[in-house]
Amino acid sequence: MTSTTTGKSELTAEFVNPIISATISVFEMMLGCTPKRTGLSLKADHIPEHELSAVIGISGKAAGTLVLSLSKSVGIGILDRLVGISTDEINDEVCDAVCELANMIAGSAKAQLEHLEASISIPNIITGKGHTVHYPSNVVPICIAFDSEIGTFTIEAGFSDR
Amino acid sequence: MKVLLVDDSGTMRTIQKRCLSKLGIEDVTEAEDGVQALELFQGGTFDIVLSDWNMPNMDGLQLLKEIRQRNKDIPVIMITTEAERARVVTAIQAGVSDYLVKPFTPDSLKSKLERWVTSNA
Repeated sequence: MTSTTTGKSELTAEFVNPIISATISVFEMMLGCTPKRTGLSLKADHIPEHELSAVIGISGKAAGTLVLSLSKSVGIGILDRLVGISTDEINDEVCDAVCELANMIAGSAKAQLEHLEASISIPNIITGKGHTVHYPSNVVPICIAFDSEIGTFTIEAGFSDR
Repeated sequence: MKVLLVDDSGTMRTIQKRCLSKLGIEDVTEAEDGVQALELFQGGTFDIVLSDWNMPNMDGLQLLKEIRQRNKDIPVIMITTEAERARVVTAIQAGVSDYLVKPFTPDSLKSKLERWVTSNA
């Protein structure tokens, strides 16, 4: 591992605890359930764990990507818990609800890292099994796995300094 | 009471509209971004503005500045994920009336809105 890569990994690692606390806080406040962290690993590729990804770009003294990756059923569960709307498909309402949740997680995490003076982008949704997400070059993303009452999901993130 | 509700997320607008409805406020006009909101603001009469910060086309901070150029008194509440001290200070300097950070509990949203709805009813 090069020193550059080590530095970037350290920056990504700095986000781990803020992301975990932000995720738990957002799920508790907005969905009324407490997710449990079940794993933390480095990703060997840029393919999210699940078929639905809400992707947020982060810029500032840290630049990178945060992904909320979840299954169709978890996405549907999020919409139901947020606004009480039931559906059996991934529609615009599900995508909007998942994006907003990811937005809150990213916003809450960056607020804990104020010294990085980070800004977050408007979230985008990518669907389909095996899709890829872009991270800064030479960054090894982390994958934080969670289990919750509405199912399993991951937060995946990778950052480099500027 | 006439409310201008600005958020690019339909989910968040639904959550806030339901909270306003529980407070007896049904006259809510929705906008998806700052540009749309400013057009509505200029063409109508509102008693309060609830606005997100991060939105496409025109963000909530710019919308706040535009509104303050036209009306220094109307309450504008930012409801946003932007929680850093520097962001809050920026919003205060631009003339925000109150600030609620996402995520929020239903009770915190209700009490925040109740304060302004009651005082401006």
